[in-house]
Formats: sequence, C-alpha cells, structure tokens
Amino acid sequence: MANYFNTLPLREQLAQLAQCRFMHSAEFADGVEALKGKKMVVIGCGAQGLNQGLNLRDSGLDVSYALRPEAIEQKRQSWKNASENGFVVGTYEELIPTADVVLNLTPDKQHTSVVTAVMPLMKKDACLSYSHGFNIVEEGMKVREDLTVIMVAPKCPGSEVRAEYVRGFGVPTLIAVHEANDPKGEGLALAKAYAVGTGGHKAGVLMSSFIAEVKSDLMGEQTILCGMLQTGSLLCFDKMIEEGIDAGYASRLIQFGWETVTEALKYGGVTNMLDRLSNPAKIKAFDLSEELKDIMRPLYNKHQDDIISGHFSHTMMEDWGNDDKNLLQWRADTAETNFEKTPAGDVEISEQEFFDNGILMVAMVKAGVELAFETMTAAGIVAESAYYESLHETPLIANTIARKKLYEMNATISDTAEYGCYLYNHACVPLLADFMKGIKSDVIGKGLSLDDNGVDNARLIEVNAALRSHPVEAVGSVLRGYMADMKKIV
Amino acid sequence: MDPLIRPGTIRLTKATVSFDDRFTLSEIDWTITPDQHWVITGTNGAGKSALAAALAGIGDITGGSIQGLPSNVGIVSFEAQAELIAQELKKDDADIMDVISLGTPVSEMIFDHCQDHQIASELVEKFGLTTLLDRAFRKLSTGETRKVMLIRALANKPDLLILDEPFDGLDVATLAMLQAHLASIIDTVPMVMVLNRFDEMPDFITHVAYLDKKSADNRKGKKTGDQGRLALTVDRQDEAAFNELYQLLHLKTTDLSVPEADPTHKLPALDPSQPLVKLTQATIQYGDTVIVDKLDWTIERGQHWQLSGPNGSGKTCVLSLITGDHPQCYTNDIFVFGFQRGNGESIWQIKQFIGYVSTNLQWEYRVSTSCKNVIISGFYDSIGMYTKPTDSQKKIADQWLALLGMTERADQPFNKLSYGDQRLLLIARAMVKHPPLLILDEPCLGLDEMNRQLVLALIEKICQGFETTVLYVNHHAEDQITGIEHYLGLEKNH
Repeated sequence: MANYFNTLPLREQLAQLAQCRFMHSAEFADGVEALKGKKMVVIGCGAQGLNQGLNLRDSGLDVSYALRPEAIEQKRQSWKNASENGFVVGTYEELIPTADVVLNLTPDKQHTSVVTAVMPLMKKDACLSYSHGFNIVEEGMKVREDLTVIMVAPKCPGSEVRAEYVRGFGVPTLIAVHEANDPKGEGLALAKAYAVGTGGHKAGVLMSSFIAEVKSDLMGEQTILCGMLQTGSLLCFDKMIEEGIDAGYASRLIQFGWETVTEALKYGGVTNMLDRLSNPAKIKAFDLSEELKDIMRPLYNKHQDDIISGHFSHTMMEDWGNDDKNLLQWRADTAETNFEKTPAGDVEISEQEFFDNGILMVAMVKAGVELAFETMTAAGIVAESAYYESLHETPLIANTIARKKLYEMNATISDTAEYGCYLYNHACVPLLADFMKGIKSDVIGKGLSLDDNGVDNARLIEVNAALRSHPVEAVGSVLRGYMADMKKIV
Repeated sequence: MDPLIRPGTIRLTKATVSFDDRFTLSEIDWTITPDQHWVITGTNGAGKSALAAALAGIGDITGGSIQGLPSNVGIVSFEAQAELIAQELKKDDADIMDVISLGTPVSEMIFDHCQDHQIASELVEKFGLTTLLDRAFRKLSTGETRKVMLIRALANKPDLLILDEPFDGLDVATLAMLQAHLASIIDTVPMVMVLNRFDEMPDFITHVAYLDKKSADNRKGKKTGDQGRLALTVDRQDEAAFNELYQLLHLKTTDLSVPEADPTHKLPALDPSQPLVKLTQATIQYGDTVIVDKLDWTIERGQHWQLSGPNGSGKTCVLSLITGDHPQCYTNDIFVFGFQRGNGESIWQIKQFIGYVSTNLQWEYRVSTSCKNVIISGFYDSIGMYTKPTDSQKKIADQWLALLGMTERADQPFNKLSYGDQRLLLIARAMVKHPPLLILDEPCLGLDEMNRQLVLALIEKICQGFETTVLYVNHHAEDQITGIEHYLGLEKNH
C-alpha cells in the first residue's frame, strides 16, 4: 500500500488540505433518516465503540457488535461491554455480511488487519466508516470500489460522547467523505445522519476531508497538545527542583497548572489566558513565548513537513512492524522521569497562583498554540481546522494530566499520538537546553514578587495588540461564538 | 409550672382546643417568652385566628394544657369587632320604647374602664377620632370601629396583646401611625399578630408560627371536622428558614395555579385505549446477579402508583426501563407511550411523555445555568439549555417562577440555590410540558421539614386537576401521598 496523499497531484493535495467548513444546523434537518432501518455493525467495543453505539441505538438506530472469536469465547472486556448493555454480539462472519454500515472503531494500528478481514465479507454497496483517517491517507488502504467510505470523528473521549448525549447535547464532531469511495454520492448524507445519531450535530459539526483531518490531527497532537505539555512538564519540574522549590509543590503546580491555565484558554483564547496575569507578568510571559517561538519554529516546521511527506507515518509504521519497540521503550522512559515519580504534594494552590507562579507554563502554551496554528495554516490547512487541532483541544489534554500526570495523558491518547509526542519531546528538550539555563524561579515556581506592578504604557499596548491580533484569536472568537450559541456552558 | 421557666412565659403543651364541633386545634406545642413578638401565619382554614383566640382564653381545652396565660389580654380581631357590634345592635333591639336609640357613644366605648386615659386621648387624636367621640359606636364605618377597638386594647395596659389582622382596612396614614405606636411599646408588652401577608410584618417581630391544616381523619366513620396544627416555628434571625417560610406561605396561599402547557407545541396524542406503560416479564441482570426478576406491570392512564421497596430492590432500575435510561430496556418486552421498545424509536420520543424528578437528576444537574433556563430545559428533556427558547416557553417559565415565589431569582445560577429550592425548580421543570406521566423518585429525599413541606405543597398544587398520571417512589411503604391507590412493592432479589 502506498501513501494515498502522496499519490495525489499538488493541486488536489492543496484542495483536500483546505477542506473545512463549520456546518449550519439546518443541514441536519433530516436527522437520522438516512440510517433508519439500516443495520449498523460496530467493530471494537472500547470507549468510543461502546459509547457511540449506545448513542446511536438511543437515537433509534439498529446497532450490533462484531468481535473477534477469541474475544467472544474468552468473554473479554469488549464482549462484556457489548453484551451487558443488551447488544447483539457476533463474529465478523455472522454480522458483517448483514451490515449496511460497518463502523470501524478499533485503534489505528489494527485498521489494516481489520479492514482487510472485513472487506470481503461486506455486502455490495455497503458503507465503511472510520473515526480517524490514518489508514486511508497514510497507509493508503484501498477500499472496494462499490463501498462508500466516510469518517465521523467526535472530538472528545468516548465517555464524554455518551455523557453529553444523555444530557441532551453532544460533542463537536468532524465528518468527511473519502472522495475516492463515494460511488453513489450518499456518503455525506450517511455521515450527517451518523453525526446526528451520536448527538454531534447539537455541538457543531466540521465538514472536512480525510486528508485535512489526518494531517492536522497528527500535527496538533504531536506538538502543542501532547508534545509541548510533556516537554514543558519535564523541563519546568527539573528547573524548580534546581531552584530549590519543594518537590511536592512543584509536582502539583505542573500537574494541575496545565488544566487551570488552559481553562482560561478555553473560555477566551490566548488573550484571556495572558490577561489572567498581572501586567509585568504578562509582558514577561509574552517575551518568553516570543523567544520560545523563535527557538522552536524549525521543530514545528519539521513535524509538519514529516507529516505532510509521510515520513512520520512511515517511521512509526516501521516501529509497528518492530513490535512497538521504540514506543514501549519511550513509554517506560517517561515513567522514570522525576516529574512522573514525584507525587503532587498536599499543598493548597489557589486558582490565581497557578498563573502567577506558572508564567513559563503560560508562555509555553501560548508559544505552542500559536506555532502549531501558524505552521498548519502555512501548510495549507484552513484556520478552522488548525484552531480545533491546536487551541480547542489543549484543555482536553491538560485535563488528562491533572488526573494522573503524563501516564494518564499517554494512556488516553492514541498510540499514534503518543509516538509523535515522544518524538517531539526528544527533539524539544535538548533544543530548549540553553533557553532553560536563563530561567529562574521568578517565572516558574515563585512568581515575580515585585514591589511595584508598574509597566511601560507603550510596551503594554504593544503586547496587548500583538496578543489580540494573532490569527488564532480571530478564528477562535468566531468558533467559540458558534459554540456558545449552542452550548451556554462552553 | 416549671420553676426554671421565666415568669410571664406562656406555654402550650400538646394543647388541643375545640371551637364548636367545626374546628379543632390539634396538639399544639408552643412557648412564648415575654421578650418575644410573634406572627401567626399559615394556610387558609388552618386556624390562625383560632390560635390567637385560644391565647385570649377562647375555646375548650380538650387535651394537653395551656399555662401562664395572663388575665389581662388585649385582643383586636374581626370576630371581637363583630361581637361588639352585635352587642350594640342587641341593645337597640332590646329597646322597646318608641324612641330612636342613639347607642353607646364612642367616648364611652373608649374611656369607660380605661386603664390609661392619657394614652387613650393621645391615640384618639392621632387616629383622628376626636370629632367622632360623640357619635354612636354602631354608626361608625368598619375602619373607624377598628380604630376604636385598637385604642381600647392599647389603652388597657394588657399583659399580652393579640392583634388579628390589625392592619386590614386601615388607610395608609393610620397604618403608619399604628405601626409606629406598636414599635414604641415593644418593651412593655409581648405581641402576637395574625398576618396573612408576610410583607406587612413589622420589623420588631422576632418569631413566626406557621399553621397548616391537618388532613382529616375519617376512619371508622368518625367525623372530626377540620383540624389545624402548628407545623413550624421560625426564629426570624434564621434568615434562610425565614425565606423558606415566606416561599412556603406563598405557595400555599397564592391564587396562582399551575401554568398551562405550551399552546404552540403540543405533545403527540396518545391512543387512549392503550396503557401508558406495560412491562412484561421484565428482567434486569448484571452477570449472574438478577436485580429485577420477571416483573409484569401495567400502568393505565390516570392510575396513580406508588412504588416501594428496600434499598437495592431495583426501584430506580425499573424506572429507568420506563424512561429508556437503562441499556437493558432493549432486551426486555417494554411497551411505553405507544412504542414497543427497540423498533427504531429514539429515547427522546419516549422522554417527551415523561416528567422526571430524582435526587440523581439533581446531582447530575451541575451546569451553571439560570433558574429560568432550568425550567425551560424541561421542554427539551435536557440537562442545561442548548437551544434558544421560544417566547412562549419563556413566558411559561416566568409563570412557574411566580408560582414558586422565585420571580426575583429567575436569572440567578441554579447551582447557587439551596438544595430545597433546586428540588422545587426540578419539579417545575418536570411538569412544565404537562407530561402524561410524572415520575417522582423519592422527591423529599434529603430535605429538611421545611423543604419537605414546600415540595409536598408544590406536588399537591400540581396534582390538582391535571391529567398527569403520577408514579411516586418511596422506600417506606407507609409514607403515602393522598390520591394514590395502586401499590407495587419490590423485594430484594439478591
């Protein structure tokens, strides 16, 4: 199989990358009609598989689960998940031939083997659905010509997908149709009905392409979302220890600090996150982030280039073929870092203190979000896509670190994201070595502790203007506006 | 009397006081110390005036005791006023001579037997009665006789002053004057006032007694007439309790009725010949543990049910089969609101027919939205609001807030309300669309007495004349609601 993206002419590559449109709610007026009475068979019953299935069934659709014979015979967790919830469970052979839509909700790594096993069993003119386009775009999976191939990707963990549905809402969702596999032109109708079935249409749906989804998703998760948070955690912790700050305090400041500062990001973008700082601290954070951006820009470019060229997926798939040797080693290395091994101390840190004593963390988030956004849009990905894959998802990932540190983050994200995160971290830590030498506890751990909060007017105006005029802020305020219209609670 | 009790304390101990055969105050426990000033309030017909009268020695004590009543009690009430006028009219009737009787003049009514002429004279002037002193008492207007009554009571140096609706029928100037005078004597005499309107309560009132009707006990054909009981007493310094009492009184006495359903959006019609719910051999099982075992249950329209059973007997599980919240509703034979489950219906098609209140819902309702939006969310069966409400929905929500006495709190965040107020709003949310089935899953769980009263008052209001079938869940079979005649008891199976 060859990288699908690389087989396309440049004009087509650019057109595909640039696909992303926030859909109007009126476009979902037909509800689940296009899937009504059709047989939907889910492959995989993990968090996404189970929770999407529960939602689809509660929306009046016919859902069952196809599992591997071993999972059924040994009554594995996936079998329990499906059968205790009252779903019909069967083998591929039993269920796939009856399916009108097959929902492939297995991890990326299994896609090739699953799709290869399933395809011959699928009936003519049926539909194959993905929730991530890696297999199609990077691995170049060729799907039978009569089959329709779509993608429906809720932009939240499976548990949220369910919880929001039960409340009468949904989570933001990305849909796409694989243009090479839309023989009857019904792909979009099916994808929309599927998004309605999971409740996604209530929270906002982005119409994208397989290519834009993969290339932006990979870039976001490797750099700002996971990579920057991992690198930042390790560097900030070691610096605080070096500066003589209590290890328990340092551990808590970082573990819960990302969540707290990015909460401000979620509500009002980078501007609001910086506005939470005092004026001198804001200017300090701004200066630090400008410096960080200059240092890290080549790394962001490299990640984006490797993703676009297929170099990244190629090396990762080599590791798949090598029984995940690198991934497992890097995962073990992460577990041995000082930050991971130091439990958060039993100290109270107020919400504001996370900002005041975490100026460098704020600067890192700002630098990472803006760089990822700038790099993606420079590569032809449209601003809306770039916003969702950078700023929008950062708080979601930060929440996982608050739960159980980097272990939880890396366990929650896909293996693909985790692999990319380690690649970034390995390059970024040495890259920032010199920069970190100049860092003291005033920007991480203790706060500026100035006698006077005075600043130069002209400088403050400059900084505020720069913050507010960044393109990620423009698109962000529009998209957050849509979201707030639909969901008052953000 | 207990030597530890302060002199001048009035104490009612399980006092039952009968007024003819028609009304009985039942087992009143109440203590009034000399430094306190009380307002008696409560629902209509609960015996507010009767309790005030009992302090003046009126009525037969048929049980318990009343200790410490002073002999010199000043009482102003419509009953006393009517009696005085009746006496005057009787004098008139008794006059067989063919001359026009002038009746007792006002001056005589006020100054004969008067303890404090100075106060009486001052008040006559203040109340503007000077020019009326020579007029016959029975020729006065209602407001004027009321003033005379007040002066008589105030000038009599009473040891206890009872004022039953003293402000009714007074003009604004007189009202202000009377309030000022009462405020000036608070250190000399304890006062007990009957007031229907909370906003008339003077600032010096220290305590409130709340009466409500005791449900009639008609067992063994024995007719006891109406009964009232002292349901609650509140110290005014307890601001939260005081506000809750205000709200309770509002709910109990307001003329507002439950708002209508949304005229612009009607629920789909149900086939009247079909039951609302029919479970056939319903079974819920986790692994080898059977929670509910082969349950058959049919709920017909208009049949109010109580579901009871110990913790873990599966009450909430059974409910969730009906509401569609239990995943095993797809593996059971369930017929609800015309849908045989598992045939392509969505849970929102089911939920639109159900109003649902439970402690769990309250826990899950953790979104920061306004009180008004919480009510409106009942139209969408959602937790939180995700759509712009229609004008009609907003209007209905405002009517519900008015009924609950929470109009001023419409825009306050729901999660900042007290636990009891949250429950009230969730009940309003459940009823806002007038669902064919209202499920109240332990609606009073976790509430104190005051809030229990509030919730029951609201449920009572809701049950008045609606076509909603009520399904009430409680783990005590004996804790019953009037009007429910069907019972389903669940046993613990595991």
